[in-house]
Amino acid sequence: MTDKSTILDYEKTIREEQRRAQRQSITKFLQYVAGKLLVLFFTIVIAVYLTVLIANMGGYVDEIKRGVIREQASIGVSLDPTLRDLPTDERLAYIDAQVKIQEERLGLDRPFFIRSFGYLSDALTLDLGFAENLTSDSGSKQVRLIILERLPSTLLLLGVSNFFLFIGSIFFGLRLARRHGGWTDKLIQAFVPTSAAPGWFYGIFLILLFPVLLKVLPFGGIVSAPPPEDPIAYALSVARHSILPVTAILLSSLFISIYTNRTFFMIFASENYVELAKAKGVPDRMIEQKYILRPTLPTIITNLAFTIIGLWTGSLFLEVVFSWPGTGELISRALGAFDTPIIIGTTVIYAYMLGITVFLLDFFYALVDPRIRVGEGSK
Amino acid sequence: MKVEMGFDDAQYDMQEMILDVDDLKLHYRTRNGAVQAVDGVNFTLRKNHATVVIGESGCGKSSLAKAILRLLPRNIETFSGKVYIDGEDVMLLSDEQFRRNIRWNRVSMVPQAALNSLNPVVRVGEQVAEPLVIHQKMGKRSALGKALRMFERVGVPSDFLTRYPFELSGGMRQRVAIAMALITDPDIVLLDEPTSALDVLTQANIMNLLKEVKRDVGTSYLLITHDIATSSEIADSVAVMYAGQIVEVSDARRFFEKPLHPYADMLMASVPKLGRHEVPIPILGQPPSLLNPPTGCRFRDRCPARFSKCDEEPPIFQVDEERQVKCWLHEEGVAHYVS
Repeated sequence: MTDKSTILDYEKTIREEQRRAQRQSITKFLQYVAGKLLVLFFTIVIAVYLTVLIANMGGYVDEIKRGVIREQASIGVSLDPTLRDLPTDERLAYIDAQVKIQEERLGLDRPFFIRSFGYLSDALTLDLGFAENLTSDSGSKQVRLIILERLPSTLLLLGVSNFFLFIGSIFFGLRLARRHGGWTDKLIQAFVPTSAAPGWFYGIFLILLFPVLLKVLPFGGIVSAPPPEDPIAYALSVARHSILPVTAILLSSLFISIYTNRTFFMIFASENYVELAKAKGVPDRMIEQKYILRPTLPTIITNLAFTIIGLWTGSLFLEVVFSWPGTGELISRALGAFDTPIIIGTTVIYAYMLGITVFLLDFFYALVDPRIRVGEGSK
Repeated sequence: MKVEMGFDDAQYDMQEMILDVDDLKLHYRTRNGAVQAVDGVNFTLRKNHATVVIGESGCGKSSLAKAILRLLPRNIETFSGKVYIDGEDVMLLSDEQFRRNIRWNRVSMVPQAALNSLNPVVRVGEQVAEPLVIHQKMGKRSALGKALRMFERVGVPSDFLTRYPFELSGGMRQRVAIAMALITDPDIVLLDEPTSALDVLTQANIMNLLKEVKRDVGTSYLLITHDIATSSEIADSVAVMYAGQIVEVSDARRFFEKPLHPYADMLMASVPKLGRHEVPIPILGQPPSLLNPPTGCRFRDRCPARFSKCDEEPPIFQVDEERQVKCWLHEEGVAHYVS
């Protein structure tokens, strides 16, 4: 056999091997995804059911509603001249009948425990009903529309800040790891305690500093009023409005992320395979990317997952501080107005968003780490 | 015959030398002072030969390997001496030149067998082929083709090319590491305790593989180990390291028969031997701290043959053409040490 045909043979073997490995990993991967989805679905079901229970105070809200219905019926009767003069027995019987009709209409005649499952399935299918007090900007009282109107703003804020957080913490983390012990390293370390305070805390100071004192950048909101017609001007206005909230988030989470990443990079840089890569004459940049960053990615992504989940819940106050028309600000208004459907609705949406976040992160996790891709049981 | 010079001088035909280390020093800076891990080391390696560097833990033998490949940590106090590879003093090269020309082109390395000597998230085939892509600008496919041939050479099944390190057994990983070390046909392969993390059977297999490769490919090995028994199978010559210095160099046959230096002698006596009823004799005491090594002979506190002259640092005595020893007992006119 000539050398050339040997190489061709080898290439064939390699290709077959790669195909086999791909087939194997695709089935394994689908199994992994299906398993993850199932677990996450149960997590969401439990979270939503707990929300249903809590928002209804374990059924006590029924009592309040019954009281309200009875009170309204009594007032209705007392205000009606034809009913007002009826004998007491008849009047009470009439009120009872009215109350019964109303309770049946609202389903209060069935026990709360049974109805709670109805609420659960409504919530899970995003059949969120109507708000009690709040309306959407377009005038709808449908909870789903109210929330969907708010969701993009929150996603924008969190998306942009997480993007900067991810890129910034890796970039600066690598830089610091390269020159650990240097003055930039010490400077960043000195800034790490800033992450003890949440983003909205810095938001207050940023507002005091920039719009109030320096008279630059807007106080809050997502776009200037009236909103610019031109889409480019509109985007620029949104960008200008998001500078301060994004900065506030970064101030509260960037330094600690940089520091954590730098430490991970340093730990991974002392692995034997990094030294061997140096011995192999692999250029420094490539060592950083292939031998330090790639094996560290699962750890970094786990870290990022915690940060994102924290931001989902932490954005509530931040949005209030910056009057950012997102879901967080909506929740705080709903809390003030005792608007239970909105509270349940946003919580359901949050549960779904968290589920999606976790799922996506698991997905990435599986992509970057072959040890996970193969899944359990094979080793 | 007292000869004040390195182990390498003029004794051998220079054409045959592939590696010649001359007064190599590597001192680490620590909070408590300089650790003299490698302190004035001289030795040579002939083409297609295997020199074994024997020494106990902490004697500086791994630092020696690192110094030759210039894999230095950041806390370097002193790094000096001369390292000739095929006649070229590589200590004069810049870091970038060293990376391009020496690392894996001339000198490659088999690390201690351990799970983390391979990148856990890169397929082993790619890792083995990587030096070809970097140093010889080979395409990825032809590099993988060569990696596959190398896998065949070292006894790794071809379908392992697309596997990840965690899917391989310890012995297979070490075979992969050997394939990786040989892929660029380097002149010298540094073997840093290549079998110490493996079980005895796998050790024997790996040593046999290394012998075969040496015979067929004609590589030169610098084997760094504390395992005298395993190394005796492959050694052509032996260098004994103690407290950062090389105290004896000898051809392997005569060394394993009867070493010259008291330390080497005691080291041999401390190894259990199959089929003999001798009880292994431990070397009492501990090697000196490399922070402030004692003046004079560094072994004298543990040496049973110690005498007045040992307070002075012994020079290197050329006993015969192939044997040198750093011990006063071998100065002419001194009665030979008898164990």
